[in-house]
Amino acid sequence: MTSLELPTSLDAALGRAGEPRAGGTDLTERRRLNLSRGTVIDLRDVPGLDVITWREGQLHLGALVTLAAVAEHPEVRTRYPAVAATAASIATPQIRARATVGGNLLQHVRCWYYRRPGADCLKSGGSGCPARTGDHLFHACFDLGPCVAPHPSSLATALLAHDVRLEVAGDREHTLASLYGDASDARRQHMLPPGALLTGVTLGPPLAAEQAAYVRAISRARAEWPLVEVVVRLVVAADQLQTARVTVGGVANLPLRLAAVENLLVGKPATPETLTAAAAVAADGAKPLTGTAYKLDLLRGAVLDALERALAQTPTQAAPTPAAAPT
Amino acid sequence: MSPPISRRGILRGTLGGTTVLVGESCAPKMVSERAEAPAAATPAASTEPVSPQKLELTVNGAARSLDVDPERTALELVRSDLGLTGCKESCGHGACGACSVLLDDVPVAACLLPAVALHRRRLTTVEGLAPAGELHPIQRAFMAEDALQCGFCTPGFVVAASAFYTRWRAEHGNKEPDRDTVAAALAGNLCRCAAYDGIIRAVQKASSGAYEKPVGPEPAAPRYDAREKVTGAAKYTVDVQLPEQLEGKILRSPHAHARVRKVDWSKALALPGVFGAVDLLNGGTTIRFAGQELLAIAAVDARTAEAALAAVELDLEVLPALIGMDAARADGAAPVYPTRNTRKSAPNASEGPLLPLGWDGNVRGPFQLFSTAKLKARRAVEKLRDKPAEGVLVEGTYKTQVQCHSALEPHACVAHWTAADAVTVHLSTQSVHAVAEDIAQRWGLRRDHVRVLAQYVGGGFGGKATLQLECVAAVELARVTGKPVRVVLERREELTTGGLRPAQEIELAVATDRDGYLQGVTARAFADAGCGVGSNSTVLLRLMYAKAPKDIADWDVVNHAPPGKPFRGPGGPPVFWALEQAVDVAAERLKLDPILLRKRFDPNPARNRLYDWALSLKTWRERQPAQSDRGRYRRGMGLAVGGWFYFVQPSARVQVDAGPEGVVVSTACQDIGNGTRTVLAETVAAVLGIAPADVKVQIGDSSFVPGPMSGGSRTTASLVPAAIMAAEQLRDELVERAEQLVGARGVAVAGGVRHPRGVVTWQQLLAGSPPLRFVGTRKRDQGGYFLPPMYDIAPGRYVAGSLQIIEVEVDTRLGRIRVLRSHTGVAAGHIVAPALARSQALGGVIQGIGYALYEERRLDPRTGALLTGGLEDYRIPGIGDIGELDVHFIEDGYERVNGRSVGLAELVTVAPAAAIGNAVAHATGFRPRELPLRPDRVLQGLRG
Repeated sequence: MTSLELPTSLDAALGRAGEPRAGGTDLTERRRLNLSRGTVIDLRDVPGLDVITWREGQLHLGALVTLAAVAEHPEVRTRYPAVAATAASIATPQIRARATVGGNLLQHVRCWYYRRPGADCLKSGGSGCPARTGDHLFHACFDLGPCVAPHPSSLATALLAHDVRLEVAGDREHTLASLYGDASDARRQHMLPPGALLTGVTLGPPLAAEQAAYVRAISRARAEWPLVEVVVRLVVAADQLQTARVTVGGVANLPLRLAAVENLLVGKPATPETLTAAAAVAADGAKPLTGTAYKLDLLRGAVLDALERALAQTPTQAAPTPAAAPT
Repeated sequence: MSPPISRRGILRGTLGGTTVLVGESCAPKMVSERAEAPAAATPAASTEPVSPQKLELTVNGAARSLDVDPERTALELVRSDLGLTGCKESCGHGACGACSVLLDDVPVAACLLPAVALHRRRLTTVEGLAPAGELHPIQRAFMAEDALQCGFCTPGFVVAASAFYTRWRAEHGNKEPDRDTVAAALAGNLCRCAAYDGIIRAVQKASSGAYEKPVGPEPAAPRYDAREKVTGAAKYTVDVQLPEQLEGKILRSPHAHARVRKVDWSKALALPGVFGAVDLLNGGTTIRFAGQELLAIAAVDARTAEAALAAVELDLEVLPALIGMDAARADGAAPVYPTRNTRKSAPNASEGPLLPLGWDGNVRGPFQLFSTAKLKARRAVEKLRDKPAEGVLVEGTYKTQVQCHSALEPHACVAHWTAADAVTVHLSTQSVHAVAEDIAQRWGLRRDHVRVLAQYVGGGFGGKATLQLECVAAVELARVTGKPVRVVLERREELTTGGLRPAQEIELAVATDRDGYLQGVTARAFADAGCGVGSNSTVLLRLMYAKAPKDIADWDVVNHAPPGKPFRGPGGPPVFWALEQAVDVAAERLKLDPILLRKRFDPNPARNRLYDWALSLKTWRERQPAQSDRGRYRRGMGLAVGGWFYFVQPSARVQVDAGPEGVVVSTACQDIGNGTRTVLAETVAAVLGIAPADVKVQIGDSSFVPGPMSGGSRTTASLVPAAIMAAEQLRDELVERAEQLVGARGVAVAGGVRHPRGVVTWQQLLAGSPPLRFVGTRKRDQGGYFLPPMYDIAPGRYVAGSLQIIEVEVDTRLGRIRVLRSHTGVAAGHIVAPALARSQALGGVIQGIGYALYEERRLDPRTGALLTGGLEDYRIPGIGDIGELDVHFIEDGYERVNGRSVGLAELVTVAPAAAIGNAVAHATGFRPRELPLRPDRVLQGLRG
């Protein structure tokens, strides 16, 4: 039976059977497609989750903070530029005004076999993945199976490039890795137990003198899901790359961190040769589907692009506290 | 009972399109049934009642308290409960922004906003942007800069732009924002007419303070109905709400190929709130595409109708499906149409009547009626295959994709029987007149008992030209239930059966001698119009380089996919994609300027004027040599030319009434964004020397004198001469009257009649006068037409010309092509309404950009299920994808055309894709063959 619950506190919102709703930009369509049934727990009246806090060298994003707020917040822009740039590239202004941090991290895949009436796929409770053998032009090139739809959260790609803790009411604290698991169970979009609520994300101290970039490979100028997306965070000291974080989305059913690329950057001079050599290994280990091999080229290109763009950025200010040393 | 839908083409005034596909008439004909005792007030049959939520909110400044169903969206609440229909439903999933509203002054998509989110918030819709009777500066700017065409997306744009305007002016004062800043702010809004250039200009100017105060009592708007569109007052078919109106929903086959064994709707009809059902199979038993219409059910609301559809017992025997041309042509492929009778039932994807052609399995054709000096053309090509040194032979296969019309207003109909034998039909249509005739015929009614109304039409592009199933379903459901019934397609349905341009594979050869003189063109075109037939594109080669021998033929390759329909410039974009690239290759090989080579080929006077214009352009003369850029970003400039028929609807009439109330011009035509109202008002006003706003225009009603279909680029060419004739008759009559009144012969001047003692105004002459009525006709051109009128359309003696230059930047790393600039030359005679013509021309260019770079309908290759079922995956161009555009009209020529105007709507959209292909080759050396030019194709092409 369909019903709506409007709890007025976080405590009251916990332990309920049903699907939580924040901005509704994902859930509304899934309700219409009958991909979400049963009770909706609307968080409209739950106070305190829509706040961005910058304190003691840490940034906290409440789960109900909108993407527009993330993109525009001065502390996010100056101290976590990759996060702000990513948030600003998602969807459209109208969507970003409503879509939330929590909703973006927990949204369901955009696969065109899933988001249709009468969907019959692993995610919708069926027994096979029609995209794997069908038309998967926009799907994964790192086939981690069983579902081959790219992970839909650009914000997760950005947060994976940071040390983040996810606060969950009704469950332990999570990392992105524990939030998403290994994607072996296609029916689950995340690993939170029923009745628990993601309440916020805490980002570790900003890097001093960070240079960051977000690249979203799309065909039109704006408002498209990424074919490939890349987040890069670099710190250059004494002409050497001291820190490198490279994460990618659009290529697997999880956001990926490209350790091989990072390893070829750290300790090397910040030269075009270093960037080219590092980007060249971006697709190593990829296992494309028959129709997604093109994404390997695109991924290498987008990683190189992000590395170059990052180095062209003005470094961020030094971090305010000694605790915020680069990692 | 009703006869099956006609399969006549647009040329005859109407056609089948996606209609009844199955004519095997062993089963009973169209059946409809009324529910026994529908419980009128019981909605949501399938779900348990839910307790309504109480909402307190401010709506356009006024406090409101409402109870809402918690499953409702803000869009439903705004449109249905609040009756604020300026907020439009279009894509339904946040991609198009037509439903944009302000939530606490911030634009959001109402379709994705839960209604309960409005609690204790401030909601502002387009209706509330300015105090009653006044306009917001953004609205003034949209009017004055003509930032709209059909107007359906306009309220959403105005709402989103108003928020940008406020914020920009707060932060930057009177500084003008640049184009990309505006584009970023409006990235959440789509305009299928692609009035983007005007929108950017309007927002730039308004944001810099240019429209703070009304210039006069009204902003000077070049478009007659702009005010209704920018304020949300314009009522489209989807906005019609009649008392006791029911909602009809269509049940569609989930399978691409199936046999219908049983359809039983008795359980559905027994549900509370369900009023009636109509069969849409028309006696057929074979399903030939996924999404084919089976039946429709009317209920008290949409959710109840959907629940009823789910209760229909359906027994379909699923059969193997052939999806795409390769599957249909494979050895041993079963015929989609196995018998003569079934072949006759294939939907007509063309504009004309279907000619009898041969079939070989699933391949129908060849259609080669328009070849000329066929053998000579073939020999010219074969000779160069043997002796390549004797000239230049360019051969290749060019492929194009399926493009969907996807007008932002979906197909929609509200039907209401006013008597047992009389029906009024509100319809989103390109032809109120012809559809009224079709309805009369189908239901056996007197023509004057059928009234088709279309006050505003939210885009058509060829997809709404004829009587189609949303209309059939609504009219029949209204008949059987005795209540008004509305049927509106959802976006997924729109992208399934709303219309599509067939995909093509064109094998083309162009042969020139060593000096670059054209010796022959051969073309074999294979069209994927799904299960439809009659697509042809090579006929258009006859409009180009007319003296050359041509061996040209078309085939249909039928398969289990939705049928094609005529789409703005049918056949044009695919065949010019092939021809104009091949000509460019020939120019490269001959080391000739592409324009000079075309001049050698081309006797067409319209295009020759355009060649001279293009040669004078600095940007063309000073273009960099091919492949000058060697870095990541490579720029190139490409040119292509196009040609199009000039059509007239000889039956077109325009009536001018005059009396004490003023001057009224009327015709059974419609305005789909092309500017029919404006053209009529300007034309009549020009004859009388008065302001266009002082002419009252009445269109969109089949009860007026017959008007043309808004298709085949015929509207202006058909209406203007008729309007001039009626207006001149009125003028002459009033001159006579003035003579009787003042006793001296006068002459017509602006605003009245001058006589020896002064001027008597039209108002004075009309005051107290009995009503005057004149009906103008569309007299034939001097020297007649190219062919005598057939099926009420006459092809004129001229071929209109266009010339397209597009400059692109290719990102060789990420495979993205960006259009930087386009220059469009149009030679289509006299331009009646320059601002509107400019907007329409640029819109056609931008649709061409979408065709070249983004748009692509995709089906599951095994099941034929639609994958690109929304505007997120079916990608039409956005406001940031257009580059800088200009258009140049050459108005000379066409001396023998009555009115000297020929159409330009289709002409402008046929050449852009080819120009982009040539620009990409000029930039990179990669000669594209297949559309769209997605990043993966570009990267592959650059790798070689």
